[in-house]
Amino acid sequence: MAKKTVWSDNRFWQRSAAWITGFASILLIWLTFDTIPQIKMGNDADLQNGVTKRVPGPTVINYKITYEMNTKRGHEIPVIGGMNAEGTSAFQEKEKFFGRDDWSQDEAMELLALGKLASQSKNCMNCHTLLGNGAYYAPDLTKAWLDPAWGPEGSMQSMTGKSTKEEAMAEFLQHPSQYPTHARMMPNLGITAAEAKGLVAFLKHMTSIDTNGFPRNFAKIQGAVHGK
Amino acid sequence: MVQETIIIQDIIANDFLTIFISSSLVLVFGGFYVGIYTAVKVGLLKKWAMLFAYIFWILTDYCLYLMGSLMHVNDFTGKALVMAAIGLLLLPHAVYHMQNRVHEENEH
Amino acid sequence: MANNYLTTESKKLATWYFTFAAIIFGAQLVFGLVAAFQYVMPGFLFEIVDFSVARMIHINALVVWMVFAMMGSVYWLLPDETGIETVGIGLGKLLFWVFAAAIVIVVLVYLLVQVGPADQTTIWFINEGREYLEAPRWADIGIVVVVLGFVYNLYATGMKGNRSGIVTVLMADMLAFAGIYLAGMGYTDNISIDQYWWWWVIHLWVEATWEVFVGSIAAYGLITMIGAHRKVVEMWLWIEVAMLFGSGILGIGHHYFWIGTPEYWWEIGALFSALEPLPLVAMFIHVLYDWGKQQGAQEAQGKEVSVIANKPAFTWFVLQALGNFLGAGVWGFFHTFPQVNLYTHGTQFTSAHGHLAFFGAYATILIGMFYIAVQGKHGIKVMHATKKSIWATSMIFGGVLGMTAALTMSGYVQVLVERAQMGASWSGYFDSQASVWFAQGMDWRLIMGIVTFLGFVILVTDLLSIGKATHHER
Repeated sequence: MAKKTVWSDNRFWQRSAAWITGFASILLIWLTFDTIPQIKMGNDADLQNGVTKRVPGPTVINYKITYEMNTKRGHEIPVIGGMNAEGTSAFQEKEKFFGRDDWSQDEAMELLALGKLASQSKNCMNCHTLLGNGAYYAPDLTKAWLDPAWGPEGSMQSMTGKSTKEEAMAEFLQHPSQYPTHARMMPNLGITAAEAKGLVAFLKHMTSIDTNGFPRNFAKIQGAVHGK
Repeated sequence: MVQETIIIQDIIANDFLTIFISSSLVLVFGGFYVGIYTAVKVGLLKKWAMLFAYIFWILTDYCLYLMGSLMHVNDFTGKALVMAAIGLLLLPHAVYHMQNRVHEENEH
Repeated sequence: MANNYLTTESKKLATWYFTFAAIIFGAQLVFGLVAAFQYVMPGFLFEIVDFSVARMIHINALVVWMVFAMMGSVYWLLPDETGIETVGIGLGKLLFWVFAAAIVIVVLVYLLVQVGPADQTTIWFINEGREYLEAPRWADIGIVVVVLGFVYNLYATGMKGNRSGIVTVLMADMLAFAGIYLAGMGYTDNISIDQYWWWWVIHLWVEATWEVFVGSIAAYGLITMIGAHRKVVEMWLWIEVAMLFGSGILGIGHHYFWIGTPEYWWEIGALFSALEPLPLVAMFIHVLYDWGKQQGAQEAQGKEVSVIANKPAFTWFVLQALGNFLGAGVWGFFHTFPQVNLYTHGTQFTSAHGHLAFFGAYATILIGMFYIAVQGKHGIKVMHATKKSIWATSMIFGGVLGMTAALTMSGYVQVLVERAQMGASWSGYFDSQASVWFAQGMDWRLIMGIVTFLGFVILVTDLLSIGKATHHER
């Protein structure tokens, strides 16, 4: 009979499994303690003081948001209120949202909270992707606020008869099947005017989240990236 | 950590197919390597088949290299890929050694 | 029941769970077909059963039938492993009815009410609108209660009877399985934090605790079906637990590339998810190794008969090892690095991976358990395949492989057109969806989905009739 070795001892492997699992779990918990504070939502004071947050405060809806390549980070980042010399957010340039650019922290939070709830109650995620997760039956909404289709050059404002992006989006959300863009249409989900406004705020806020450059080259390209 | 360069370069559209195929083949060839090694050791295949096991290991490495370079991986990921290749080389040896031990202890 | 060879209440209860699981499995396929048909004909059931509703039921039914079949599997193997009758059978029966009734109500509400106003009543009573975890909060609480009851039965039985290695692994794993679900029950206004915890449930279920669960089931199957040596199998099980949890727990990093979380998750996710296929390769080799070893030992004694006591079930167990390797391994690996995932995330590639991985890793082995239950119920010593079981196995496995290939093709078109060239905008999305290649991928997916469904119908008739076939050894 061969000599017993530790390698063929079940107790050894049982302990190894327990140690490895415990170690991996503790590492995950530790990383969670590091990550969660970094993705906590900022507030209005951060925006006023020029503090960049991965998830900015709700009053970000008062600002102009763009999505620009940052050479230091090697990918695109959301730029809030215009760009400063370092290529990051300057928090200066405002943009009217439903006619106002002075939404208070509480008002903006209320809109955003309603929008987030609506995004769940209306089951958006089982057709669309949000931050890249969800279903693939309809476009990704991560940076939908910046989609050229809703901009002044796009077709959606004239189609819905509205003159701003947010009003066009809100109108579409309330009566999606009246404005068919493709054979695959969005169904009527009974979204009210208030819910639609909240959803648009939710979408604009989501655009301002730092997603490490996802999606790549968003809406930068009118023709093609590689000239094909 | 070297983060600045991780995804600075766009992947060229024509490279995607090569990346997808080579990264799939990493596991397929890697599986062949482990599979042939095991089969030779338990006597299902003749000894000379072992040569093919190592050829598949080399093919796995080539696919890893191809995939990594076309994806423009950074230094850290590059090192991790080399470690993975070496780990794969050792894996079936270690596993076979253990299996053999246990069977000897329990069946003889 | 007449001709019932089951001597333990635990095994009888297991057959209840298996039966209900098979019914929900059918519902999963039906609603999958509806959704697949909508890709081809977008007007189908528009504003009646929209894609979002069909898909929600498709993926919820998937999770639910698997959880039912997993509970059934545990009730099935407990008497064999512990040597005693399961403690708390009455509780198990009660929980079965509570769970089944809750599922029926949840599905009816999904179908008939579908969506609600943007307030907490919708979250509590209609749906939570979070992929895979749509079940409303009342059902969440119900699920936790049911699972805790189940875990109690498992622990009580494991501690009273002989606690084998397999039972020990299951006890630890099922407790983690139940505990992790709590991470997905909260509500937050912050979508990044929302998705952070949401992945704890989804990822730590399917890429950690469920994988360990099937590892234990595979171990049980190898011992009971081909008489593999328990000590060897259990040693392997512990190694697999170490490898699966060692790579899988931090492999969660590959879901944290783009949801707002810091960039260090790129390195963590890439490193650990690159390791995730290793246990899958190891499990595959392990199954073949043990099979070869047992068969070799048998033949060395001059007996040419197969060592396999249940042919259809063993076929599914082998397909599990293969499907897990292909679906979770190959199809997972080729888009797991952040450099590539940037372009593939949220395309049909993900869907291709999802289909083959869920099916390969879980559906296969649970179907195998159905066959083991049929064998036990009819008191068969060696169960052979029938024509039907061969057809069902080939059509289901071939159908899912076909769907995966079709979705992969569509995903490739999406990556090239929508992501690499059009910058993921709305028009880029629709340009890719309109591509002939994409559309053909969707046609083939539907065709292969129908093949899978027909295979399922044959599977059900086989499960109901194979026990009465006369060519088994009794």
